[in-house]
Amino acid sequence: MPERLCSNPVWPCAMCGAVSCLSGFSGLDVVIHGSSGCYFYPASLIQTPIHATLIMEEEVIFGAEERLRRVVGEVAGHDRPVAVVQTCVPAVTGEDIGKALDGMEEAFIVDSPGFVGGMEEGYRRAVAALAPTVDPGETGVTIDGLNPVDPFWRGNLLEAERLVSAAGGTVAAAIAAGPLDSLRRCGAAVLQTNPGLACGIGTPAGSLLGIPATKAAFERLADLCDLDVGAVLDEADAAEERIGRATDKYLSRSDPPTVAVFGEAAYTGFVSDALARYLDAEVVVRAPRNGEEAVTSLDEIRDLVLGNKPDLILGSSFEHAVAPDVPYVGITFPQRGRVRLKSRALVGIEGSLALMDDVLNACLEKRGS
Amino acid sequence: MNLKTSPSSSRRYEGCTLTGALSVTTAVEDAVTIVHGPAGCAHHNFSLLHAVMADQGRLHLPPVVSTDLGERDVIFGGEEALERTVRRVVDGGAAAVFVLTTCIAGTIGDDVASVCAADFGVPVVPVPTSGFLGGVFTDGLHAALLALAGGAERAPAPAGTVTIVGEKNLEFEVEENYSEVKRLLATLGVGVGLRFVREVRSADLGRVGAGRLNILREPALVPVGEALKERFGTPYVSSFPIGMEGSITFLRDVGSALGVPSDDAVAAEEERQEEMIASFADIRGAAFSPGSMTLHAVEYAPVRRVMEALDLKADTGGAGLALPYSPPVGTAGVRRLLHRWRRQIHA
Repeated sequence: MPERLCSNPVWPCAMCGAVSCLSGFSGLDVVIHGSSGCYFYPASLIQTPIHATLIMEEEVIFGAEERLRRVVGEVAGHDRPVAVVQTCVPAVTGEDIGKALDGMEEAFIVDSPGFVGGMEEGYRRAVAALAPTVDPGETGVTIDGLNPVDPFWRGNLLEAERLVSAAGGTVAAAIAAGPLDSLRRCGAAVLQTNPGLACGIGTPAGSLLGIPATKAAFERLADLCDLDVGAVLDEADAAEERIGRATDKYLSRSDPPTVAVFGEAAYTGFVSDALARYLDAEVVVRAPRNGEEAVTSLDEIRDLVLGNKPDLILGSSFEHAVAPDVPYVGITFPQRGRVRLKSRALVGIEGSLALMDDVLNACLEKRGS
Repeated sequence: MNLKTSPSSSRRYEGCTLTGALSVTTAVEDAVTIVHGPAGCAHHNFSLLHAVMADQGRLHLPPVVSTDLGERDVIFGGEEALERTVRRVVDGGAAAVFVLTTCIAGTIGDDVASVCAADFGVPVVPVPTSGFLGGVFTDGLHAALLALAGGAERAPAPAGTVTIVGEKNLEFEVEENYSEVKRLLATLGVGVGLRFVREVRSADLGRVGAGRLNILREPALVPVGEALKERFGTPYVSSFPIGMEGSITFLRDVGSALGVPSDDAVAAEEERQEEMIASFADIRGAAFSPGSMTLHAVEYAPVRRVMEALDLKADTGGAGLALPYSPPVGTAGVRRLLHRWRRQIHA
């Protein structure tokens, strides 16, 4: 039992992480082997169709193999691979689902029941099952660390593709996005959108979280792929100048805000550094959702917010709900109670510009209220 | 929401007992709900509750504590973890504790009732759920309503006071639907004594037997209505008013059950409905292309009657027509539906 009560856990389980990762690829069907309760939540988050066996009590008692075979059989009719994601109860009852899928060549199993850990663990298990491989003849770049439940998933992909294109390169594969087949021909050079979800293949060019990191990654990419990255570096410099002018103007009338940052570990680090760099902000709370210092209980979040009284919160709608009067910028899942139709990036040049837009506008709105 | 599964049984689609039960227990503002199982089960449901409440414009985060069962507990049992969690929740000042079980707790066979039977100094109420092993969403909802009524006694019922039973707390329009019922009741001079269970405190639960009449949210709650009738002697109306004719019937039924004259209220409501329909005369005779399976379902008969009132035609070449997830409550529900339809015609 952990020291603190596991009160209002705010981070999804391994099953959700696996399903999220798999759902990012086209040309792949996903079947959750579990009850409707395990299905509805990821289905509510993920914008692409997923399937489920929706097992019931009698199948737990008498076995769910027949049900699993029937659902996978129907899904497999689409002539695509089928990933079967294991949930808690079938894992505990010890069904041999590998045997149940005997003869179904297109089906493979992702053993990721919820109780084995958090979202990142499930994501890693799904990537391991997919086994992306570098094609030595491939000259394109691999984009890594994209997670479909991340509110920045699509925006990060688009920004990474835009920057690679601006350098005259191509994207060979994206994890987790795009055609499943592309995982067989990943490029050796890997641009990272979230180092916490690195798949471990290829040669890291670096992270796209933040403008300095983006510049460094593209300088490395120039060496790895023989690209002309001058346009990207020029754009990055110009963007930093624009940010500098905007924050300088803000600071001429206002003290820097104290900020509390909550989110996936890599995002938390990037955002904290950016606010200190551009706004001279004091980061009074830096609370990652994952890793050794993970903060995933609402009680802890509430204590951190109320105890430190930040001027600005960056996090999820959970943090916003804890202190609704404090200016807020959404940087992590979930973002409930608001419409998000547009693709927003957090990585790359546009990601930093968008972040600073949101931060400065939140501070200005508070000042004007 | 996307849904692509094999429709061999509609119960497969109903969702988890936990979600149904949590939709009730988390509406008790000074109580804490413990979910006995892996943290993911609590997160799924808490995050869904947060999503629904945020959509409803409420930033409230109901306390949901997980016993956080891991692989070790799955092997050796989770009763100790549950007992420790209950004690810490009680020490934290909860006025009452509701204990819900997941399918994992059910599978490993923890004796939750026995743990909850210990003296913790405040009510610790087990709600039989067991995830999908305990049934489906509706079963969890019913189990929670009955468990929360368990501590109430018969009480004198003030005249002209009714109890609302089983509001759909996860419904987007839950407050608007309640407002419409309250408005209709007020035309009869009747007030709501208790919303069982929405925006209440644990002490309020003891008043569930103190209404002259129970008004159920929907006919699926009849088993709950029957159980409350047997226990407290309270008659019930089996549903919120659905559509225009349903509103008139509702007024007559409530008036009859309470011995209150309803003719004047009925006449006023019929006049209100005529005015409302007249305000949509511009879409009279329009062609729509509704989902035929849904439209022809029994529960959408009130919607079909609205279409008849405006001479709306179901035609595959017409404008797409959004049917509400739940049939419209009262005259106000029909008005909102017609505004959506008019928007679709003009789109």
